[in-house]
Amino acid sequence: MSGRETERRIRFTLGDALRLGYEYIIRRKNRAIINIAAIALGIAFLSTLLMTDALYRAYALAGGDRLGVETYQYWLMFVALIVSVVGITNAMLIAVYERYREIGTMKCIGAMDRHILLLFLVESFIQGVVGGAAGYIIGLGAAILSTGFGIGFDVILFVPVTDSLGLLASSMVLSTILSVGATLYPAFRAAKLHPVEALSYEL
Amino acid sequence: MSFDTIIEMEDLARHYEMGGVTIKALDGVDIEIGRGEYVSIVGPSGSGKTTLFNMVGGLDRPTRGRVYIDGVDISKLDAYELAWLRCRKIGYIFQTFNLIPVLTAVENVALPTVFAGVPRNEGLKKAEKILTSVGLGERLHHRPLELSAGQQQRVAMARAMANDPAIILADEPTGNLDLNTGMEIIDLLHGLNKTQGMTLVAATHDLKMIKASDRIVWMRDGKIEKIERG
Ligand SMILES: Nc1ncnc2c1ncn2[C@@H]1O[C@H](COP(=O)(O)OP(=O)(O)O)[C@@H](O)[C@H]1O
Ligand SMILES: [Mg+2]
Repeated sequence: MSGRETERRIRFTLGDALRLGYEYIIRRKNRAIINIAAIALGIAFLSTLLMTDALYRAYALAGGDRLGVETYQYWLMFVALIVSVVGITNAMLIAVYERYREIGTMKCIGAMDRHILLLFLVESFIQGVVGGAAGYIIGLGAAILSTGFGIGFDVILFVPVTDSLGLLASSMVLSTILSVGATLYPAFRAAKLHPVEALSYEL
Repeated sequence: MSFDTIIEMEDLARHYEMGGVTIKALDGVDIEIGRGEYVSIVGPSGSGKTTLFNMVGGLDRPTRGRVYIDGVDISKLDAYELAWLRCRKIGYIFQTFNLIPVLTAVENVALPTVFAGVPRNEGLKKAEKILTSVGLGERLHHRPLELSAGQQQRVAMARAMANDPAIILADEPTGNLDLNTGMEIIDLLHGLNKTQGMTLVAATHDLKMIKASDRIVWMRDGKIEKIERG
């Protein structure tokens, strides 16, 4: 037989996972959109509240009345984030079921458990980044609108640049962590699938 | 003709427990398959053909007995070595094609080369070459759902060949195809076996598939009923 087989290595790099994960997201848009919307809603809630608070503070510094965000609104935000996570876990579990056969097939052509895990986590990472950015933009818009109607649209002049950039960064980080975290369990399930069971699964 | 042994099964058995009943899907199979040989496994549905493939392909563990590939007992392989075996040494062809729907034909065929660590461009070039050789040079960038059943099975064949495996395991490769398309697939497989010397083990309950084979293994109830020279 060919002598080039001496190097007994199996490889699946982060780049490979990103490329394949991207194809899955693009070609199965509906599933990805549900996940992105789930995370975006939670993050939008969060950034609305934090941005509103930042605007109120800036307004007060400029001599206006001191207004505040109600505590219960933070609780609502917390609930919204939990709902996002549960929604994503659920959607990813369904995605695993839909892809049983494909997972089995990949294991037949050399994929190891951790490659399947990586693939699912990379997909949720991409969704988390997109969802975080979308949620931030929605939240920023909502904060400006709601405070604008309350205390006038000059409020835009008060938009604190450093605060809003910091909020962008923390929105992205949080949404990525939540999205990847919500996918851990479904991804483990997928990775541990037995190839024969996965292949004989009928949808 | 004589072959040195590439696959050896020794008292191979796989039992399933189902609600207190033991189903003997495979029950003591002994057979040696030579390098470059074309063996057809024939038997009615439920006779254990798929179970046998799962054992030989390292996809499932036997209840009893052993499988040796190139003299190595595959139950002794660790996860890495098993993945390597599935990736480099064996090419699988299924009745249901099992292509990855989100990938194009050429990407599907190149996927095993990704796991084998072949640089991306090289893998894609190779995939293109193989697809062209099975008559799909014009369909490289089509996705599975844009292809006919026969074309999909040819993509699956090309994928099985991507890493030049020593063994091709084909489980009822023509089961979902009409007569003519099925014959084309068989001719292609047979051609590969003859020109490239790949060992071909094909399960079927389709008697027209077995004509060209070196040996025909008849199975029934998880056992070998008889072995004929082709
Ligand atoms: N996962 C399983 N659990 C229980 N019984 C099974 C399982 N897989 C296969 N069998 C049984 O094993 C026998 C052989 O099946 P199989 O190998 O698929 O046959 P073939 O491929 O020849 O049609 C059948 O009786 C089948 O019902
Ligand atoms: Mg079968």
